[in-house]
Amino acid sequence: MKKMITLFVNDKEYEIAVLPNRTLTQVLREDLSLLGTKEGCGLGDCGACTVILDGRPVNSCLVLAVQANGSQITTIEGVAEGQSLHPVQQAFVDHGAIQCGFCTPGMILSAKSLLEKNAHPTELEVREALSGNLCRCTGYQKIVEAVQTAAKTMKKTSGRKRG
Amino acid sequence: MLLLPKFDYLEPENMRSALELMASLKSNAKIIAGGTDIIVNMKKGIISPKHLVSLVKVKELFGLEQRKKGIVIGSHVIVSELAESNLLWKNYSLIAKAASVLGSPLVRNRATIGGNIVTARPAADLPPALMAVGAKVELKSKKGRREVALDEFFLGPGKTVIRPDEILTKIILNELPPFSGGDYIKLGHRKALEIAIVAVASRVTLDKPQGIIKNVRIMLSAVAPQVIHAVSAEKILMNEKPTDKLIERAATLAMQDCRPISDIRGGAEYRKEIVKVLTKRTLANAVKEVNRKKVKSER
Repeated sequence: MKKMITLFVNDKEYEIAVLPNRTLTQVLREDLSLLGTKEGCGLGDCGACTVILDGRPVNSCLVLAVQANGSQITTIEGVAEGQSLHPVQQAFVDHGAIQCGFCTPGMILSAKSLLEKNAHPTELEVREALSGNLCRCTGYQKIVEAVQTAAKTMKKTSGRKRG
Repeated sequence: MLLLPKFDYLEPENMRSALELMASLKSNAKIIAGGTDIIVNMKKGIISPKHLVSLVKVKELFGLEQRKKGIVIGSHVIVSELAESNLLWKNYSLIAKAASVLGSPLVRNRATIGGNIVTARPAADLPPALMAVGAKVELKSKKGRREVALDEFFLGPGKTVIRPDEILTKIILNELPPFSGGDYIKLGHRKALEIAIVAVASRVTLDKPQGIIKNVRIMLSAVAPQVIHAVSAEKILMNEKPTDKLIERAATLAMQDCRPISDIRGGAEYRKEIVKVLTKRTLANAVKEVNRKKVKSER
């Protein structure tokens, strides 16, 4: 039997009826047409389906949509501010940290969560925070560099805002 | 895409209705907490419960609190919270350490302490650390509650003493005696999303800083169907000063205390060697922690 749930996705409220056996990945992609969230392994190993759920990045393929009832969710579509890319997104573009792009939404959401908690991560902390997101193209180096660059840019802009 | 089989999803409003529900549904129902294990098994078709029961509304399962004599952790506390808890780093650092190497950050943000226990995986990270400090679990059913030491909780891979109508509600950590220290080390092929080749959790209690060992637990993981004590290693350490030489001897004995198998992650002989290395390192770090704590409290 379908259940009524409410999701707050990228600051927008959605009321939907879902079957209990549908994952959050499925509902985001198929019901809300938010195709930025990818499904890779479907088993919590690859991190392509990463979304930020109530402030923490999670594998949305291992969350039932009914379990997310009432939650705040950020997908990759909610990261940019209007037409301007988020500093992490911009850094990924600038550093060539995107090749096929399948892991990128998850990588960016994990990196964004890290930088919100820890504005000055070491290289090890970056690698650790991204360790649940697998990339088969880049060899990770450019991704790590992009996150470190984003950390610096974010520091500068937040300093400017304050000043 | 891996699809989930059909099931009914239930969210009881409080503990009482949860217990009623489990009593009436019994083996037809499974509890879903973080889902990082059960959803994988359901997608793979290994299990197909008729009902999934979520206890998300049962608030008492989500606390991590200091009590008069120790710490009580609700079964639904997520692993990230354990890894971030100052209370745990201060009093039971080996548990926080085990939590910080479980799965990946994404898994740790969903997986719960109770889930890591009830699934009874031979290479799970939290049980050895919890057993090294003598943790107990509280099991509740409509008929009543009971406390079971983790030492007696596991029966084999995937098998525990929990009955189908019971819910694991909390994990009870009794206060450790003064001059206690511990450590947990897992060896994997890589640093994340890894299942242990071997893991060792050790805890020592001395009579005073630089003193003799009054109590010791060495838990070996992934080298037997369930976590085991390194019995003979524990025995020769009792009432002795933890010198490097004695720790070396204990580590050699720990090799003989385990019966690992050869599998895709490592050979039996290799695993035995690693048991020795990790027993030595965890014991040495546990003793170091005792002496470090003492220095801190003197300041």
